Amino acid sequence: MLGVFTTEVFATELFTTVLELFKGEGHMRVNKIRSLVKISAVLGAGALVLTACGGSGFDDDEDDNDSAQGTNGGEEGELTSSDEALEILIGSSGEAETTAVEDAVAAWSADSGIDAAVSVANDLPQQLSQGFAAGTPPDLFYLAPESLAGYAENGSLQPYGDELENKDDFYDTLVENFTYDDEFYCAPKDFSTLALVINDDIWQEAGLTEEDYPQTWEDLTEVSKTLTSDDHVGLAFGAEFERVGVFMAQAGGGLMADDQPEADSAENVQALEYVQSHLEDGTFAYAADIGAGWGGEALGKEQAAMVIEGNWITGGMENDFPDVNYSVVELPTGPGGEGTLQFTNCWGLAADSSNQQAAAELAQYLTSAEQQLIFSDAFGPMPSIESAADEWTDNNPELAAFLAGADYAQFIPTLVGSVDVIGDFNAQLESLASGDPEAILQSVQSNLEAIAE
Amino acid sequence: MSQPTKKSEPVKIHPALTTRGGSRSATPLGQLLLYALLVSLAVIYVFPFLVQIATSFKTDAEAASDPISLVPQIWTTQAYEHLFLRSDFPLWFLNSAVVTLLVTLGRVLFVSMAGYALARLRFRGRGLVFALVVAVMAVPGVVLLIPKFLVLKQLGIYDSYAGMVLPLLVDAAGVFIMKNFFESIPASVEEQARIDGAGTFRTFWSIVLPMARPALITITILSFQGSWNELSHFIVSTQSPELTTLTKGVAQLASGQLSQGTQYPLKLASAAIMTIPVAVLFFIFQRHIMNTSEGAIKG
Amino acid sequence: MTALTKSRRAKGSKLQRGEGLAGWLFTSPMLLILGLFLLIPVLMALWVSFSDWSGRGSPLSGSVNFVGLDNYRDVTSGGGLDERNFGISMRNNAWYVVLVVPIQTALSLFLALLVNRSVLRGRGVFRTAFYFPSVTSSVAITVLWLFLFSTSGVINKILSWIGVNGPNWFNDPRGVVHVLLDKIGISGGPEALTSSSFLGISLWEWSSGPSIAMFALILMAIFTTSGTFMLLFLAALQNVGAELDEAGMLDGAGAWRRFWSITLPQLRPTVFTVVTLGLIGTWQVFDQIYTGTQGAPGKTTLTPAFLSYQTAFTGQKWGHGSAIAFILFVIIILLTLFQRWALRERPVPKRKRLRRLKSRTEEGSGA
Repeated sequence: MLGVFTTEVFATELFTTVLELFKGEGHMRVNKIRSLVKISAVLGAGALVLTACGGSGFDDDEDDNDSAQGTNGGEEGELTSSDEALEILIGSSGEAETTAVEDAVAAWSADSGIDAAVSVANDLPQQLSQGFAAGTPPDLFYLAPESLAGYAENGSLQPYGDELENKDDFYDTLVENFTYDDEFYCAPKDFSTLALVINDDIWQEAGLTEEDYPQTWEDLTEVSKTLTSDDHVGLAFGAEFERVGVFMAQAGGGLMADDQPEADSAENVQALEYVQSHLEDGTFAYAADIGAGWGGEALGKEQAAMVIEGNWITGGMENDFPDVNYSVVELPTGPGGEGTLQFTNCWGLAADSSNQQAAAELAQYLTSAEQQLIFSDAFGPMPSIESAADEWTDNNPELAAFLAGADYAQFIPTLVGSVDVIGDFNAQLESLASGDPEAILQSVQSNLEAIAE
Repeated sequence: MSQPTKKSEPVKIHPALTTRGGSRSATPLGQLLLYALLVSLAVIYVFPFLVQIATSFKTDAEAASDPISLVPQIWTTQAYEHLFLRSDFPLWFLNSAVVTLLVTLGRVLFVSMAGYALARLRFRGRGLVFALVVAVMAVPGVVLLIPKFLVLKQLGIYDSYAGMVLPLLVDAAGVFIMKNFFESIPASVEEQARIDGAGTFRTFWSIVLPMARPALITITILSFQGSWNELSHFIVSTQSPELTTLTKGVAQLASGQLSQGTQYPLKLASAAIMTIPVAVLFFIFQRHIMNTSEGAIKG
Repeated sequence: MTALTKSRRAKGSKLQRGEGLAGWLFTSPMLLILGLFLLIPVLMALWVSFSDWSGRGSPLSGSVNFVGLDNYRDVTSGGGLDERNFGISMRNNAWYVVLVVPIQTALSLFLALLVNRSVLRGRGVFRTAFYFPSVTSSVAITVLWLFLFSTSGVINKILSWIGVNGPNWFNDPRGVVHVLLDKIGISGGPEALTSSSFLGISLWEWSSGPSIAMFALILMAIFTTSGTFMLLFLAALQNVGAELDEAGMLDGAGAWRRFWSITLPQLRPTVFTVVTLGLIGTWQVFDQIYTGTQGAPGKTTLTPAFLSYQTAFTGQKWGHGSAIAFILFVIIILLTLFQRWALRERPVPKRKRLRRLKSRTEEGSGA
């Protein structure tokens, strides 16, 4: 940090100089100001020249770009095509996922004769944004539904969902999740739902059996109390809407209803109050508050008897806690019935891609029943197409609860700006224990209304 | 650093104010207390780094259950094996090394050239150039994150070594150090050389630079440390995994974007390795750094 | 600038012409790089902060519109999340500055006084120990800090030895001031504070203090910068004269008073420097947040610098991000100027001190 410090020492010197400049140390003042003005002018002119030259880093005009590729792209729905190799960017959960995707893409390349390289993003949203802004995005990439609207709106994405041969096979809620402005943008690559994951050993030690799996909130209250001890809490989950939201769904609420913000409904208040009361009595806890990075860690380290997590927990447990026995059951019903949340990503296609045709074909290949079942086997999530459901259930009978959730799962709002709103909601949820559920939900409501306009 | 303490005239201290060394009057108890205080403070400053090294040789489970012990119960090099054999860590290290080397070389040359010109060469617009240096130093680094990205894109060197290295090649503070240094040494030798017919660049290269060794060492240390530890510039100047540097890679590792779970031994091992080059530099030039304050000020 | 006006030599016009060319040649690499990567970027970002550029294509292309102060308005008075986020980040950083600057200044001065004693045995070792944290990168230190302050980490272990149940540091969004108030039975804010707000968050929220997570980062900043500033103070102490009994603080009340009335006034310029540098540095917290908390828990470690980055690079609101960066720029400049003005204008009781200051000022202009 010596560097920092010296830079700053000289920054001080600078301020002295600036001060003197304005204090008017005699004749120096005017000249210096004039100098500064002159420099700014010269460099400003430089900037203009730079602009005029067009700058090789930018595609100043999308249409130019498209015509340069010799095909018509963008709005018309026709895809660009060229001989260029494809770049695929994924956000990987680990080596298993990376290898599985690499193998699949390699197989497709061998088949189609089009080169394609898979890279793993360290920070997917940041790398995507910089790629779009720089005009050099990957051709095909993981895209979260909450990012869809923003990128679709500024023209970074090429919609191709309707071109897919298997488009009718996708679950309707998933298609809805990736539809913006009535256009089905991208192929859902798979999906997960949340379920209740139980540590079998703790469960049995507490004298509970399969008969005792909680069916309702009352049951959940009951077993959580039984399971809470000095060593562990009954139920743990992340301090975020992406977990707490299941209670809102079970209460009959949710952030949106018929595309309208409904965050401050009585159902949602009831849900947060339920969670709050159990955070207070210590039978529920946020994962971070008991020192775990996420639910799986809390379960594996026996810091919690039950957690709310999605399909990805199977991979996590296998890698980090292979000796821990657990069961996956459906979440209990609340006053409003069944409720869970679903998560999905799609294979986004860049508007700036020069080989959209090939990329869309690759996406179709990667979402085929065969490939999705391989992926599911390798790293957990469920196939996004209905035709693969039966085989998946046969292969994974112990995980059936996840797929059962698909029938009643809600998804995260996808309006432009919803990432910020949910981010703010999550920040407030972290202090739910001492907060006012109604006030929290009202602020979420007003934030949602602001972006829903 | 020179400005606040540099003195052109010695400060006179009233004789009555000067004492004969405080320690002579200190009691043995006072001495003991002083040392106790110093030792405990030093422990506070050093202990975290010892913990870091010790933990990097522990298993994940032990790091969580016994974070404080300095001797792992089970020694394991798992973390290091993972870093070097099963991750991009070696690549990050290589990128950091290449960038640091280029930046340090370039900066030493450019900064000393500019400092020399501003201190010694008489040319129209020198005041203007100096004013520019002063002006750009007013801009806090974080303000530049977004715009630097924009310009790198415009120039077509975004996501390349050029984009990573070029913007770091000059820093205004370095120019200041060199300018101050050259102003502090007598001009007679080089002037003689120039009157004898040596060109400006030859004079600079073979006479001035060798004389400037102490200041060049300072610049080298600052550049090395600055570019090795730089984070934000690399975030905004690159996107490809192949161009990830140590700081960027480890930062993303730490914020959990690459892994699940805590994995403290792995993270601490990466942080420890990352500290080694600057630590080595520090110990080589320790005397120089510790006297930087004096050296740079006295010039 | 005296060097400029004072002509050291007049060697004839030929030599000077050569110098003119050489001067521009020698400074051209620097001019090119500073111009390209500092000046133009600033101008470009200034444009983006007044535009509706959405992050695709060139911000200078024809389809990007000038939107006046809209971005600035959204961030400072829009009433929405943008304003609230900015307000929260300002609150967080203000508390950070308020705690870090005085403590790091005092601690580094204290360390310098301790290790400055010429008769101290092993003072080199101590200096090295105190300075070492300063050479490591902020990324490495943050990684270490995340471990030390984890729920079952070193700090909580040590706290447990003295019977304290340590907080869940990096996951605890509660404000330190509010926690303390809670201890004495005040859990809600008075109407006057909760009902009025500034930058989208209520005055009661402003008063929360740094969160416990931010507090851990505050300790980190003090830990890493105190060594650096210690070096500055050491240099100054050696310059004000080794004869001074600077470290006599432990010797008793007399020494304490001597420190206040003799040593400290002599160090005044260095204190100015350290405080100024502290102010500049503490308003630019970025690396630690990017590496460590990304703004969590509960946005309580969100800083304007990180918010600016996040808004632009992940939120795709480039105009807002640039506007935040420029507001931050102005804040840093104003605060620094204000601080220097405030500290300069104070009446100086002793003649000698006045002379010192004056001589400094002259050097400043001569440098």
